[in-house]
Amino acid sequence: MKKLELLNLTKSFSSFKALSNVSIELLSGETHALMGENGAGKTTLIKVLAGILKPDQMIMKIDNNIQNTYSSIQSKNLGFNFIHQELNIVSYLSVAENMFLNHPYPKKYITIIDWNKIYKLSSKALEELGVTHIDVKKKCSKLSTGDQMLVKIASCLIKTDTTPTLYVFDEPTAALTLQESEKLFKVINNLKKKGAIILYVSHRMNEILEISDKVTVLRDGIKVLTDKTSELSKEKIIRSMVGKDLSDNFPERTGNINENIVIDVNNVHTKNIRNINFKIKAGEVLGIAGLSNSGQREIFNMLMGVDNIDKGKISFMDQKYEPNSPSDAWKKLISFVPRERRKEALMLKMSVKSNTTTPHYSKLSKFFFLANKQQENLITNNYSKKVQLKYENMNQSIYQLSGGNQQKVVFSRALASNPKLLLLDEPTRGVDVGAKLDIYNLIIQLTKNGCGIVLNSSDLSEIMGMCDKILILKDHEQYKILENFKINSQDLLANFYESKK
Amino acid sequence: MKILNLIKKYGTLIGFFGIIIFFTINLPSTFLTAKNFINISQQISMLAVVAFTMTVVMVMNDFDLSVGSMASLAGIVAAVLFSMGYPIWIGILAALFVGIIGGLFNGFLVSIIGILPFVATLGTLTMFSGFAFLISGGRTIFGRDIPSEFSSFARSGIEISSLDLKIPFLSILALLILFIVWFILEQTTYGRRLYAIGGNPEASFLAGIKVKQLRLSAFALTGLGAAIAGLMYSSRVASSNPTQGSGLMLEAIAAVFLGMTMSEEGEPRVLYTLLGVLILGVLDNGLTQMNVDSYIREVLVGFIVILAVAFSSITKKRN
Repeated sequence: MKKLELLNLTKSFSSFKALSNVSIELLSGETHALMGENGAGKTTLIKVLAGILKPDQMIMKIDNNIQNTYSSIQSKNLGFNFIHQELNIVSYLSVAENMFLNHPYPKKYITIIDWNKIYKLSSKALEELGVTHIDVKKKCSKLSTGDQMLVKIASCLIKTDTTPTLYVFDEPTAALTLQESEKLFKVINNLKKKGAIILYVSHRMNEILEISDKVTVLRDGIKVLTDKTSELSKEKIIRSMVGKDLSDNFPERTGNINENIVIDVNNVHTKNIRNINFKIKAGEVLGIAGLSNSGQREIFNMLMGVDNIDKGKISFMDQKYEPNSPSDAWKKLISFVPRERRKEALMLKMSVKSNTTTPHYSKLSKFFFLANKQQENLITNNYSKKVQLKYENMNQSIYQLSGGNQQKVVFSRALASNPKLLLLDEPTRGVDVGAKLDIYNLIIQLTKNGCGIVLNSSDLSEIMGMCDKILILKDHEQYKILENFKINSQDLLANFYESKK
Repeated sequence: MKILNLIKKYGTLIGFFGIIIFFTINLPSTFLTAKNFINISQQISMLAVVAFTMTVVMVMNDFDLSVGSMASLAGIVAAVLFSMGYPIWIGILAALFVGIIGGLFNGFLVSIIGILPFVATLGTLTMFSGFAFLISGGRTIFGRDIPSEFSSFARSGIEISSLDLKIPFLSILALLILFIVWFILEQTTYGRRLYAIGGNPEASFLAGIKVKQLRLSAFALTGLGAAIAGLMYSSRVASSNPTQGSGLMLEAIAAVFLGMTMSEEGEPRVLYTLLGVLILGVLDNGLTQMNVDSYIREVLVGFIVILAVAFSSITKKRN
């Protein structure tokens, strides 16, 4: 396949037009980036390509031949591959078995599975992508998220009869670390060289500029831009995504850090991290940085009381702080925005109201046990407004909201107790540019009110743009703290690797 | 489209009225009478109590298979103490105590040790049943061993002389427990937290809910409910035997499932559980009156439960 064209694609959901008259041309050997804010129609387009959604109107041409019918089965037969951030990996099966999930197992003597052949074919598929560090006999649960994604991509190469033609990546790097992303980009380049068509969706501007050949931007279901990446700039792409000038830069911090210390962590060890030392003043933002899985999550576990303190001590608001469970942390006005909102923060089938008030039931109750409905409604209304949540009403179920709005519910929940310390673990992951800016502004608003903030992010520009000091982790241990830093992202990154020795 | 939505939302309720209309037509003189409905309310009172308290654990996506044998065990414990000459209140308190301890043990296995509720309560089902046989020596305790004050509770009620009706104490007790469970689940922060755990246990834990303690306590409530039902049954038949509660577990779970077909996101609500219990009770009463063979009755009841749940999951999937 040399060329795949979608012409005049229109799809509406009842009265809402998700896509109207969108045309896109994808060429073999080219990485085509698809961009747009959440709700712009990217996911709808991908679902149409996968044959999951039936468009109201569309002409599909493959190498200039019109396809009359199109379904998910045809999409499969054509060798189209879809790689999401949520991987369908069976963690207790080996790498090789996972790669053969969609393919018949090779057999010998009619019925016996030919394991040698399975291992050989799967290693070969990985090698074709230039991946040599993954042992195909290993259980997938032992692999990092990035490696799991590479396994998933390689599994598309198992089939020998049809060579894969189209790869669609839907925010693949959202869950990956820098070095894992680098590996992925290499693999994408290899696929490109083999003549695959690549459609790449991401919110991360820098990687789009780095790896794509062409960019198409959707806004409110309409195509507003298609151009060669070399002709484009970050500013231009952002401008067409949001329809107005909006800087990707971070909002101005007004320096009003006060001398009161919110939290003082003194040489703390837990079962998972060692030697943690930092102080946060009221209105200060501490960034957590380092290679992935260097102990970022464990810092939050320590502060939330998920992992107990083995050594050292923490004082919070000048009092000894020894949390035994997250319940102790919330009681002390420490709020938490966890990394994976669907898994760790939200009850998807429950209402905006329940989700906003869950951590605060004790404070909202009458006579210690009665649910206080007026208070719950009031809090939900106030804080939803504060975070500029777009929703119909507070009894609406969370799963009906977009990703960015779901994240805003997690924020309004965290703010509802007027926290003294706010813990943010990857707060802008998978969130569109507009909502990101809202979140940054909220953080600044909070620091003005004297809230201390711990911010972990794998987006280096976010760390540098938002934080007053940066704690660098290495192998689950504190490596150093950068205060009053003047540093660019390359030098910061160099710090991670330097610490790797 | 609108009609489909209505059916989706009220399908089970419509089915319930369909059943009532069917019996009213086929049993014109006996079915739709106040006397018969009071009779039904007494017949279902034990099942209702078990189903209401079962709802408490099912709110958290757990369930308890041991309620039936707990009901048997509690009845036996009380009866054995009666036969040894202890006063009634001691027998009752001991039975309730056994219910709470058994429930706590279930909760301990599920939430502290971390065994799946299915496996843990399957184990305790057998254990409780074994204890019931052990304590009673495998025989039914009846006759003079059961004090008449105890068994007369089930036979008496509040007389409404103007209508020549008697509302049985058993039905009133079931209503009281319905109110308590409704209050706990819908009006207290405790109930809110149970629903949150059902929505997402990990997120609830990180949001500061003491998941382990709450699960433990919810199982204790279910155990207590089962013990109450066991006492009600013993009082009603003026005897205790080690298998008396065995039918309760499946019907109670079925009633909660029937109820779940009526709520918006498929979560259990105790008032809907009541409807589930009523459907099962009315079916049983009507089919018995129509002299339908009891084996056929079982087939029918099972079929109707599957039908309702299947219908609701099909329509919800389409949504």
